Amino acid sequence: MAILPCGVHFETYRQHLAYLRTRPQWTVFILLMLLLAGLPQILSVRFIAMISMATMISIAVVGLQITTGYAGLLNLGQSAFMGMGAFVCGSLAVNFNLPFWITIPAGGLGGAMLGAVFGIPALRIKGFYLAITTIAAQVIFPLIIMHMPNRWFGGAIGLNLEPARLGSITFNSDISLYYFIIGAAVIMLFLAFNLVRCRVGRALIAVRDNDIAAEMTGINLFYYKTLAFAIGAGYAGVAGGLWSYYLRYVGADQFTLYFSVWYMGMLIVGGLGSILGAILGTFFIRALQEFITALAPILVQYLPQTGSAAIWFAGMNILLGGIIILFLIYEPRGLYHRWNILKTSYRIWPFPYL
Amino acid sequence: MNTLAYIDLLQYTLDGTLTGVLYAVIAIAFIVVYRAGRILNFAQGEVIIFMAYIIWTLIALARLPVWVVIPLSLAVAMILGLVIERGIFRPLIGQPIWALVMVTIGLMILIQGITQVIWGGGERPFPLLFPRAPVKIGPLLFSSSIFWGGLISLFIVLGLALVFEKTRWGLRLTAVAENHQVAQAMGISVKSSIAIAWMIGWALSSFAAVVFLNGKVLTFAAAAIGLHALPVVLLAGLESIGGALLAGIIMGIGESWASAFLDPYTAGASSQAFPYVLMLIVLLVRPQGLFGWKIIERV
Repeated sequence: MAILPCGVHFETYRQHLAYLRTRPQWTVFILLMLLLAGLPQILSVRFIAMISMATMISIAVVGLQITTGYAGLLNLGQSAFMGMGAFVCGSLAVNFNLPFWITIPAGGLGGAMLGAVFGIPALRIKGFYLAITTIAAQVIFPLIIMHMPNRWFGGAIGLNLEPARLGSITFNSDISLYYFIIGAAVIMLFLAFNLVRCRVGRALIAVRDNDIAAEMTGINLFYYKTLAFAIGAGYAGVAGGLWSYYLRYVGADQFTLYFSVWYMGMLIVGGLGSILGAILGTFFIRALQEFITALAPILVQYLPQTGSAAIWFAGMNILLGGIIILFLIYEPRGLYHRWNILKTSYRIWPFPYL
Repeated sequence: MNTLAYIDLLQYTLDGTLTGVLYAVIAIAFIVVYRAGRILNFAQGEVIIFMAYIIWTLIALARLPVWVVIPLSLAVAMILGLVIERGIFRPLIGQPIWALVMVTIGLMILIQGITQVIWGGGERPFPLLFPRAPVKIGPLLFSSSIFWGGLISLFIVLGLALVFEKTRWGLRLTAVAENHQVAQAMGISVKSSIAIAWMIGWALSSFAAVVFLNGKVLTFAAAAIGLHALPVVLLAGLESIGGALLAGIIMGIGESWASAFLDPYTAGASSQAFPYVLMLIVLLVRPQGLFGWKIIERV
């Protein structure tokens, strides 16, 4: 937490514990909410769709932040957990015609359960062994989906959903889906910001910093490590549920290891150990991806041997691999750290240093 | 059981053994790098494919003879290994494990992208470097790439195991593997040992590329071989070079038997699933593998 500006002090615990503590913070928060509500009036539909996509993914990345950034458990299966959420949500919507406010939480629960199962080995194994186990989740997940009865998860064909409905509103246009996703994201992020400040969040941080020492101070490792996986995967599940209503199609090939690596990349770029960092990283990488997409037709002219089909994929790969490596070497604390430096230097201006 | 069945069994076993020795080569490329810097190189499969593309370029485009290409490719591999170590892994010494895992995954994806940009996505026939005719010993018949590749691999693996256990130079690397601080205190340069390990790792990958892809189709999908060798690494234990040979052979024979005796009933799934099932069992029962070092953690 960055230091407080001069003259800000608290008289009660309640004030101290509040998330928004000063009048300017409230002002900024309300302005942000108004901006989010007003964006569809300002931007074109294409940008709104991009923002919806990025917001949806940021929910999954926030979940990954809780598992990996806070609890320190390497998770390369986030995409599978997201897929589980999408399939559970889609299946309930298609087969039982349930409304979205039941199916999306159910999707979150489905993701959480799968995450908890693959989180159990975390008690015994660490580091890359755990990475391999979560990769195994990623490999096994499509097999499970494909081999269940077709009526459950659609098998190899996938599931086609009806748009979400609430009363007389149907969420089927880009702008209505934008509000749908932003609404869900605000709820999930509010929970995440508070989760990491409460007992659970602190226990997870203790586990990350040194799990043996944490166990000595009375933290039940098995419970908290499994919980970290379950919560993180639950976020992915909710993101998957939103995904199923957004694209209205769910297929096993949408949730591969490749996307899990992207989510880890977003996390690294944003910075580990901060919810805001996860959001920053997601939007930053999504912006770069859109940039590559726009650039690909121009690049093809200079690299004819690659071919127009492969150049987009190749560009994405170089972007993803390069950015992970560069950030790990030059700024392992991520964009969030940069943001903090900016914030602190603004607060203590005109003094140059902390 | 008649004689024919015994010969079949022997054939499957020997085929499995020779394939297993090839797995051991890739596993050792993993292990050498892991021992030096505690880095499990997830990009191993991509390194092999990248070297395969370089070898293909040297043979098919530059039209160099084989006896030039092989030493040349080894030299290129060593230089690339050194560059990667200097550029990416040295700045990360002392970073937490997740950072090392992620940097190798980043490297894996970066190499995929670079390979696609340079060579495009199409399929290419990899040149035939061993004699075409299958090798016949008595009633047994081996495909030539498995036979010669397996034999050469066996020599390389045994040679490396001997070097790491017996020579002064190899023992330095082993000391670094055991403990960086102690090795440094004994006057061994940890940094140069890690650099040497990367060079050996890449050279082995280059060799593995030749043996594995000899006469096959070269596409990017072949990078899965790196993931395929991971179960061997975990079965052997992440520190043991000699163990990799045994683990490779166990894996090779298991896979060969599974494909001969179980696949007819499971539509080809058992030989594919076998390494991963074995890997999960090893991870759950004995995480340090058959010959790995059990490291006791203290707070």
